[in-house]
Amino acid sequence: MAVTRHSVVVADAGPLIHLDELNALDVLSDYAAVFVPNAVWLEVQHHRPQALQHANVNLIRQLPPTPSARINAMAAIYTLHNGEREALTLCLDHSVGMLLTDDTAARLAAKSLNISAHGTLGLLLRAVRQKLRTSFEILALLAAIPQQTTLHIRPSLLSEVIARAKTEWE
Amino acid sequence: MSSAIHAEIPDQLWQQAQTLVRQGWASNMEEVVNESLRRYLESHQDVLTESFIQEDVEWGLHGSN
Repeated sequence: MAVTRHSVVVADAGPLIHLDELNALDVLSDYAAVFVPNAVWLEVQHHRPQALQHANVNLIRQLPPTPSARINAMAAIYTLHNGEREALTLCLDHSVGMLLTDDTAARLAAKSLNISAHGTLGLLLRAVRQKLRTSFEILALLAAIPQQTTLHIRPSLLSEVIARAKTEWE
Repeated sequence: MSSAIHAEIPDQLWQQAQTLVRQGWASNMEEVVNESLRRYLESHQDVLTESFIQEDVEWGLHGSN
């Protein structure tokens, strides 16, 4: 199936690792490029090296950006790691409007910089909208999150998400 | 009331924390650990995490990009 490629995004380690744990990195395949900050690349390489080798996802390793005083100050307030700090800097340097992250503090920091932030759950649901996966497949992947991934989510909240998706897709 | 913890901490983090104490930015390691934990909890509140997940679900289902 031909894939229409969309915009460029910057990725933090969480979604890359969690999607790979679900064998679902292909949900990123319609992005023209997924910029991976160097610190994030090293983190993923350490914990889940196979996530960096997906043939259909255009992951592009980025050199460490020049530190920005604004981001450094924000990193201190939100207790951001190096990867999250580099990811936000890259978004600003390259005018990328979307950060992929599962970290609450990174999302909060992104929001304050007017960068939209989305995580593993949103990306999985989006895959149906983008016709990259069927609703049946995504419901199965959502249900597998607690057993198959290192993504922590309150079980009752995950059940609510699955129930909502089922209702929407019926 | 307080609780004692035992935790494995990477050498580099531990050394950075000890430097802060030596330089007088914190009175002892206990203060560094307490303050670190407090800040982490403040920026990772469950209410916040849940609201982000709800936003994410909305985007996933109905977003435009």
